[in-house]
Amino acid sequence: MSTPDADAPIATTGLTKRYGATVALDSLDLSVRAGEVYGYLGPNGAGKTTTIRLLLGLHRASAGQARLFGLDAFADALSAHRRVAYVAGEPYLWPSLSAEDTLRYLGRLHGSIDVAYRDQLVRRFELDVAKKVRSLSKGNRQKVQLVAALATRADLLLLDEPTAGLDPLMEMEFRACVQEARERGQTVFLSSHILSEVEALCDRVGILRRGRLVEEGTLAEMRHLAAVSVEVTFAGPAPMIPALAGVTASSVGPNAARFEVHGPVGPLIAALGGHEIVSLTSREPSLEEIFLNQYDDETRRRDG
Amino acid sequence: MGETLRARERPWSLGVVMARRATRDGAVRTLVFAVVFGLYAWLQAFGYRGAYPSLADRLAFAGAFAHNDALRLFYGYPYDVVTVGGYCAWRVGGTLSIAAAVFGVMSAVRALRAEEDAGRAELVLAGAVRRSHYFLAAVLSVLLGALALGAGELGGYLAGGLALGPSMYAALATALVVPVFAGLGALASQLAPTRRGALALSLGGVGTFWLARMVADTWAPAAWLRTITPLGWAESMRPFAGSRADFALPSLALSGLTLLGAGVVARTRDVGVGLAAPRDRARSHRGWLGGPTRQYVLVARGSLAAWATGFGVFAFVLGMVSTSISSAGVSPELRRQLQSLGLGSVFTPGGYLAFVFVVFIVALTYFVSAQMAAARQEEADQALETLLAQPVDRRRWLLGRQLVAALGSLGLAGEVGLLAWLGAATRGANVSLGQMLEAGANTLPTAILFLGLASLLYALVPRASSAVSYALASVAFLWYVVGSLLHVPRWLVDATPYVHVGYVPAEAFRPVPAFVMLGAGLLTGVAATLCLARRDLLSA
Ligand SMILES: Nc1ncnc2c1ncn2[C@@H]1O[C@H](COP(=O)(O)OP(=O)(O)OP(=O)(O)O)[C@@H](O)[C@H]1O
Ligand SMILES: [Mg+2]
Repeated sequence: MSTPDADAPIATTGLTKRYGATVALDSLDLSVRAGEVYGYLGPNGAGKTTTIRLLLGLHRASAGQARLFGLDAFADALSAHRRVAYVAGEPYLWPSLSAEDTLRYLGRLHGSIDVAYRDQLVRRFELDVAKKVRSLSKGNRQKVQLVAALATRADLLLLDEPTAGLDPLMEMEFRACVQEARERGQTVFLSSHILSEVEALCDRVGILRRGRLVEEGTLAEMRHLAAVSVEVTFAGPAPMIPALAGVTASSVGPNAARFEVHGPVGPLIAALGGHEIVSLTSREPSLEEIFLNQYDDETRRRDG
Repeated sequence: MGETLRARERPWSLGVVMARRATRDGAVRTLVFAVVFGLYAWLQAFGYRGAYPSLADRLAFAGAFAHNDALRLFYGYPYDVVTVGGYCAWRVGGTLSIAAAVFGVMSAVRALRAEEDAGRAELVLAGAVRRSHYFLAAVLSVLLGALALGAGELGGYLAGGLALGPSMYAALATALVVPVFAGLGALASQLAPTRRGALALSLGGVGTFWLARMVADTWAPAAWLRTITPLGWAESMRPFAGSRADFALPSLALSGLTLLGAGVVARTRDVGVGLAAPRDRARSHRGWLGGPTRQYVLVARGSLAAWATGFGVFAFVLGMVSTSISSAGVSPELRRQLQSLGLGSVFTPGGYLAFVFVVFIVALTYFVSAQMAAARQEEADQALETLLAQPVDRRRWLLGRQLVAALGSLGLAGEVGLLAWLGAATRGANVSLGQMLEAGANTLPTAILFLGLASLLYALVPRASSAVSYALASVAFLWYVVGSLLHVPRWLVDATPYVHVGYVPAEAFRPVPAFVMLGAGLLTGVAATLCLARRDLLSA
């Protein structure tokens, strides 16, 4: 295995965070490559926001290390932040500032923003910038954060549930923006509960549970993890199929059987070869099923 | 299916649940106020008895000191100061009624507006709860607070050896101030666009009524003003000095009216929105967005202006009344005794101003505490997270806030010097501008010390820091007021910084303690930035 790139946008080793007795993050090893869109998934309380806070140096790690572009996330936070933009999980801003001034303020703090792109984003997200943040709806406040972050064109975007509260049209706009960022070579770290969003945007996905990374891979790899379900109806009573590695069989009627196949389907097809088959359907699991499987303790215990 | 909850709870029991919730929300503050009321009442009774044991002492004190116009600013009109009770009614009642007014305003705004702005009222009102019951529950919790304050004061008097009946009456006179100002707070909560607005509006009301009482108490032709300010009614009830219970009536009537009015509005008003809707658009303020410090000044400009106005008005009025001080007939013996009360040479305008400028030190310690509380608020609201995710250094952020507090203190110190001089000059008093500016500057070292302490508290114990800072500032002053009356070791008396501040311009500026305080303030301030750099940000 190759060592992660020393200047990778995100690299953590053994990253651990305890709040009193709660272990929010348990020895996390994470590496996000330049230019990729990384989906960060997990049930409520899994430690997603904690990870982002540690990456931003807002909280201090109890153990382990977090690096952004090779810079220590806590000690060199200032240099790291010049290359980072952040959208917080909850749109808390300065209530008495107008949206316009908020954008200007955050832009100045960041140092460099693409003003033309910002103005374009304001139009695309249909933001009324003259309004005070106090009087904006939750979704509109979220848009202020989004526009501020995207307009920086930062090398790394850390997005914590960025579309919570956005309407479907705006969600589409957001996806387009992430695609644009990807095309420009920006790296995106996207924590989300919206599976379709992750499926549409992400090159790679990590699933966090109780502070541990339980699964990681490309979407294709994720699909391979789950079983393909093959249902066969025979002309006569279902025959005995000899045990095959990676295949579990169950009966679904007098003439029908279901096979859950992990890995290649070839051996099963070969074994079915001598029998008269009326119908055969095979179904790939949806991403949703894969994710739900990973989220749900009960299923995991049953399957495990 | 499982059990149903008590499906049709009686409205009353729901009301009790809500009142209990509201009471518990403010319990810590109520408790602190009640304890302070008790201690203050006890210490005054105890101290007076010790300092003026004989009737002759007391008569001399009354003749020369209690009838001094200037002191009435703080303590109100003295009806009788030759008995322990009468003295307490003057010194305790006059001061505590102002504290009770502040308490009433704060608890009403908390119960009636803060809950709405935080979005919690919506949750409650979404249940099977009548608006009027919700309002009544909030009012009930405030009245329970008034009861607690009264009980604290009563306990203090009793511990100080005063009789039960008159003590109860005196405590009642103070406690009655709470509902009047709670009514004011409740009305402001209906009107103002935000919680902060409601608080500012009603605290402004407290200030105005206080000012009215000051003028009434110090300037004979305006004595009638006392009859139109609730703080004057409390005074006119004359506890321990020929009780006038009829003055409870206007308090009761006004409380009833304002609370009723607020309740009527509260029944129909949009939850979380004041009658005076906030402007939802804002002009752009380009010039103030260059960095976190400037942005803070922009956001806080309203409250900074309010501080400046309060300091200015007060300084001007103090300057004006400083000329009504007379030392005629004050024996050297009495002077010595006044000294032991911490009230030295107060019989010249300059001396008087030097003495009352201590009040500005107190106010400045609250000002710096408020600045650090605002820093904490930005963190609690998680806006600081968004800020520090930018290339912004935490240490510089805190340093900026400390700088605003320090420069603000400097500005306020200069302002009070200037305006006190101006007030005195309008009455032809013989104090120079230079002297008064020096008196203003003399308030700074203590403020810087408390700024350092408040920042350190903020860095170390963010969640408790605001309350502890205000408490520390209050205790330091109260200890200075009463410490010297009590027979405790010298070092314990000297533990409060106030002991080490000279009465400038009556006395010389004391450079050594001043530099020690400045140094300690700087050190703790720097330590605070270093500690902040090492900790997790903590939301509310
Ligand atoms: N400041 C804190 N103090 C104590 N515990 C905390 C703190 N912040 C987070 N936790 C705990 O750490 C764990 C992880 O929380 P985190 O906010 O990272 O979850 P999350 O994955 O972002 O969840 P969600 O999907 O609900 O946003 C939770 O058990 C939470 O209670
Ligand atoms: Mg989260």
